[in-house]
Amino acid sequence: MAPITDKIRNEVKEIVYSFFADECEVDLASINSNTSIINDLDGDSLMFLELIEIFKKKYQLDIELKVIGKYAVKHPVATIGQLIDMQLLIIEHENRLLEIDQ
Amino acid sequence: MQDHHLAFVFPAFTNDYADHPGQTMPGFDQYFSELLFKAASHTDQELAQFTFENRAFHDDELRTQYITYIYSCAASSLLRNNGLSPGFTAGYSMGIYAALFDGGAVSFETGLTLIRLAHGSLLKSLPGAEYTMGTLIGLDRKDIETLIDKSAFSIEITNQNASHSFVISGRRAEVHQLLKLAKEEGALNTRDLSVSIPYHSSELKAGAMDFADNLGKLDIGSPQTPVISLVDQALLTNPRMVAAELVRNLYYPLNWFNTMQALLGHGVSHFIECGPSKGLAKNARFIEGARNFYTLNAIPPASSD
Repeated sequence: MAPITDKIRNEVKEIVYSFFADECEVDLASINSNTSIINDLDGDSLMFLELIEIFKKKYQLDIELKVIGKYAVKHPVATIGQLIDMQLLIIEHENRLLEIDQ
Repeated sequence: MQDHHLAFVFPAFTNDYADHPGQTMPGFDQYFSELLFKAASHTDQELAQFTFENRAFHDDELRTQYITYIYSCAASSLLRNNGLSPGFTAGYSMGIYAALFDGGAVSFETGLTLIRLAHGSLLKSLPGAEYTMGTLIGLDRKDIETLIDKSAFSIEITNQNASHSFVISGRRAEVHQLLKLAKEEGALNTRDLSVSIPYHSSELKAGAMDFADNLGKLDIGSPQTPVISLVDQALLTNPRMVAAELVRNLYYPLNWFNTMQALLGHGVSHFIECGPSKGLAKNARFIEGARNFYTLNAIPPASSD
């Protein structure tokens, strides 16, 4: 469990925005929290997985992918803003992510 | 001179050619057209009707294999003509035929014949049931095996792309059910590959044996560029090994993840995906050490010198 500071929040936002701008070859300025990952950026699940791996390494997270998968079934992500919120929850709760709903 | 830090890798068949490199690789369209007409003349006259715009044969599995093969052979021939000479080649799934062509083990025409014979033998051997293949991302092998065992399905894991990325083959209804169960178990993504043959599964053993009976009539030589086996990661260096691999590739499980590890172990640091796909390049992001993995439209100048 890592408390989410403003520094982490900003880092996550910056990484996610840069990642999609780079991967999807779009202008960074064209991305905002309402940008649809699939419809606007043509993103896919491999990008989602890659971002998870980036954050796992950066914050040394102890989390199984299937925990994230189970959470994502109940809380599907469609926009960049929702993705950032989920990444922050993953960083904060790690393998206890599913306990949020209990 | 071969560059032992470079490998050409050939994707499985696809019907999506939206990113064909006609604009970014001068000469590609000409190479492709020449091979397309050669294939039409040798194997199937209808192939001449194909254009990247009309997407002919979109739902035709055999012709899709031909087009992918032609595309892949055109790309690798052009790259070689431009001075690139890989130290290794590898063919993912049905990409084996283009890998063997590129490696110099078979002629372009023999590759087409192999595709036709394999497809015919496999279809003939399958009982009436409907089959397909699927992909699962986010679960590990043990998770998937547990799901299969619990449901008493006859599904097999037939390829591993990365540590948490797998391919399964089996009867269509069971594969669909397993993909659903996998999502509930926490798979981040699942997908039906919508094919009719459960490639690389033991269901195909009889078909593979029938295919093997025809190999003696074909001219199979020693690869001039080593081709790596996706079954056991051995380097195929003689006709006997190539013929055995052609048969095993149909009904043995493959392991792309191990193959990439083996190529990295041989000192390969740069990979070019020679075909109409970005799939292997995308997958490479999850393989440590395989960052320099390029699609045809993104080969950096330094790699094409």
